[in-house]
Amino acid sequence: MNLSDKVTIPPQVMARMVGDDTVILDLASGTYYGLDPVGARVWKFVVDGQSLARVCELMLAEYDVSREEIERDVLALVQTLLDKQLVSVGA
Amino acid sequence: MSVSVQTLGARPQAALPEPPFHHWTMPDGSTWTAFFRFDDGYLLRFPELADFRVSRDGRTVVAWPVPGVSAGTLEHLHLNQVLPLALSRQGRLVLHASAVEFAGLGVAFTGESGRGKSTLAASLATNGARLLTDDGLQLSWDAGRCWITPSHPSVRLWEDSQSALIPREVEHAPAVDYTVKARFLAGDALAFCDQLQPLTRVYFLGDGRASSLVIEPARPAEALVELVKNSFLLDIEEHALLTWHFDELTRLAELPIYYRLDYPRRYEDLPSIREAILQHAATDKNDTP
Repeated sequence: MNLSDKVTIPPQVMARMVGDDTVILDLASGTYYGLDPVGARVWKFVVDGQSLARVCELMLAEYDVSREEIERDVLALVQTLLDKQLVSVGA
Repeated sequence: MSVSVQTLGARPQAALPEPPFHHWTMPDGSTWTAFFRFDDGYLLRFPELADFRVSRDGRTVVAWPVPGVSAGTLEHLHLNQVLPLALSRQGRLVLHASAVEFAGLGVAFTGESGRGKSTLAASLATNGARLLTDDGLQLSWDAGRCWITPSHPSVRLWEDSQSALIPREVEHAPAVDYTVKARFLAGDALAFCDQLQPLTRVYFLGDGRASSLVIEPARPAEALVELVKNSFLLDIEEHALLTWHFDELTRLAELPIYYRLDYPRRYEDLPSIREAILQHAATDKNDTP
């Protein structure tokens, strides 16, 4: 996986904000993952169809952290979601 | 909302042209229920027990037992498995949960199979509360509140719970072929509530490893995950219904009514557990920790 990849979300995977958290859920398998507000922002950009590179740019514009840190955190989050089969990744 | 049921003659389970689109498995990996889709509805196959055809709108069910399977088994499968799934086609939320009414409050217990949902409901309904359902908790919204619809006036229990909880005079329903659980009918000793009640508390049952009673608030996100895990939905591949289902569960999860409940599973502790739960259920959310 690299920053030029785009992330797609299977149709049975949905996310909803509930309380202060966002829950991503695969309704077929029951797999779920909870996101904090920063993770939820990444998810929002992913849902909008942005490439991972563009997601990082958008996050950089909103948060006062280094590019390296943002790229590392975004890739780590997407890898976690990929491992849980909550997203798929392709060029 | 209702479901009409017709039972046809016994027949062997013939092979079907397409593979199932979904299945539920037993702990040993064997198939408990296979789900098949047709143009006009669904066929739910319980291997070596029965086939149920559910119309696309969830309003009619036709049942075919396998030869030798009892009427009690067929009724059991219908009430506990097929009816909740059919109701999900009618836009009804149905949870794997038991519920009782106490002092005008609807108190529900949900969790994995074997965690004590029916035991708690039976224990409460033989000691002052009234049973609303022992599984297949039907929910609906009205005037901004979520309401519990009473279901079948009976409770199913494993043998150890039967002897510990159920007075001798309570009537048995016919035995079924696939479980040693027995069904007891509501009556004087097992009180039943036949009217809608507001859903005021939901307890997520733990695995019994707690050394003493624990009741802790559950966050809305935790509640949502538990509700999804414990809800019935017949066609998980129909996107519009899936979206509706998730939206409804999210709305439900926003209610301030969720707690994690765990306690040692000892029958001799049940009186004090009952008392603590009822006291907690009757306490206003703002007063609870």
